[in-house]
Amino acid sequence: MAILETARTPGTTVGQASRPRARKVTRRQGQAIQIASLLVVLILWQISGLFLNKILISTPSEILTDFVEILLNGQLIRAFLGSAAEMAVGFGLACVVGISVGIVMGRWKPAERAADPLVSFGNATPTIALLPVMEVWFGLGLAARLAFIFTICVWSLLINTLAGVKNVNRGWADVGKSFGLSPLAATRSIFIPAAMPFIFTGMRVALAQAAVGMVLSGQEIGETGLGGLVQEFGSFFQTGYLIGAIISSTALAFIAFWLLSRAQAYFFPWIRAMSARR
Amino acid sequence: MLEILEVSKTFEARDRRVMALQDVSLSVRDGEFLSLLGPSGCGKTTLLRIIDGLTEATSGRIVFDGIELQGVSRDMAFVFQDINLLPWRSVVENVEVGLEGRGVPRPARRRRALEALELVGLESVANAPPYTLSGGMQQRVGVARALAVDPKVLLMDEPFGHLDNFTRENLQVEVARLWERLKMTVVFVTHDVDEALFLSDRIALFRTNPGRMSQLIAVNLKRPRWEYNVRADPEYIRMREVIMDELEVRKLQMV
Repeated sequence: MAILETARTPGTTVGQASRPRARKVTRRQGQAIQIASLLVVLILWQISGLFLNKILISTPSEILTDFVEILLNGQLIRAFLGSAAEMAVGFGLACVVGISVGIVMGRWKPAERAADPLVSFGNATPTIALLPVMEVWFGLGLAARLAFIFTICVWSLLINTLAGVKNVNRGWADVGKSFGLSPLAATRSIFIPAAMPFIFTGMRVALAQAAVGMVLSGQEIGETGLGGLVQEFGSFFQTGYLIGAIISSTALAFIAFWLLSRAQAYFFPWIRAMSARR
Repeated sequence: MLEILEVSKTFEARDRRVMALQDVSLSVRDGEFLSLLGPSGCGKTTLLRIIDGLTEATSGRIVFDGIELQGVSRDMAFVFQDINLLPWRSVVENVEVGLEGRGVPRPARRRRALEALELVGLESVANAPPYTLSGGMQQRVGVARALAVDPKVLLMDEPFGHLDNFTRENLQVEVARLWERLKMTVVFVTHDVDEALFLSDRIALFRTNPGRMSQLIAVNLKRPRWEYNVRADPEYIRMREVIMDELEVRKLQMV
């Protein structure tokens, strides 16, 4: 049997690897560009400080010194830890309630019908409008702040969990039915794990909302934590300290997101493995 | 014996009524390998799902060993075209699903699941996540999952439909071997004439519009069919022509 010609690309010699047409930007170069552009922004910012009014914005160097100051005197750390704890508790409670109600609603029609109007109403209401109500019910301290954080983020958890449970892959549901799992066993073994991608999406959205709720409640109820610092520094136009507090809030949110993504990768590696390849 | 008695199925969506199956009657003998063969849309998968209890018939009955079936039966196991392994479970945990459904205690479950994996030659990947396996291996796990519950009837819905030709031919031989060894009844849905001829004792031919059974053919080719070149057998060639005629004629009529 004759073997026909091996294919040749015109312009290259057989055996030599072909070169890429355009010069590609390497990963190192990409990182260098990012750092360089950041530095340019900071330098321009610092220079602009020589011309702008101190009240408008502080220069990076001033922010840095202010930041270190409130860090060292413990003010920032106390506020950070206090806020982090409140956000964790509020978000944690919202997860427990939101996810379990979402599962029950998803698997039991009567529950869904009964709770649906309540959920729609609760989700549509801007939580900040309920702030005075919470102060009346829960007082002017920790309980009200936790209630606020809880209320602001529980709806996302519930709604996303509900969607996840109802949209479970039909093939997996068939497996449960065909192999004789009871509805309860199927809920535990198939529907809940299958809904995890949706549940995690709900958690990501809720986490962002909880971060907002944490700062807002700190500002409005009791003036404590990072929200309290924002309120205090803002009202005295201490922009250096203010920006330090804002950056800390952002950092807290970033840390929370990172922890969530680590948790997903550790407990549910299959979600990433089975998503559309990038 | 598995009896399908005047089963019909109509699907209704908004403004369309589709008669997926019309008065299908068929008896499956114990231990036989029966294929349901036909083009897409002829209702063969619907019929298999009705037998398993996954879909409810609009009318008609399924009777197994004299008892009318209501919903899912413990005597049957299903192998899915989409394979449907649960990605959050390891391979062996996937195989255990049917045993969990039947209330088998934990140690026995693990033992039986591993035995089923040995039947398909995959005991070495028992603890792997299913998405790390090739398509062919995944479907073998699907077969192991069905075999683990010791079913009297194995229902296979175009199990090799999503796999490449090479894998498909190898798995056909594996299924034929398993059937010879375990001697259970198999109802096998396919649109591949060669696959049906290679595996079956009898083939039920299906037409579309509406979905119904048109012929029941006995396949009298010598077994085991992997030990010789069955496709060169004159009887095989003749039967293939008969089947293609039966199905082709419909296509011409549709034009």
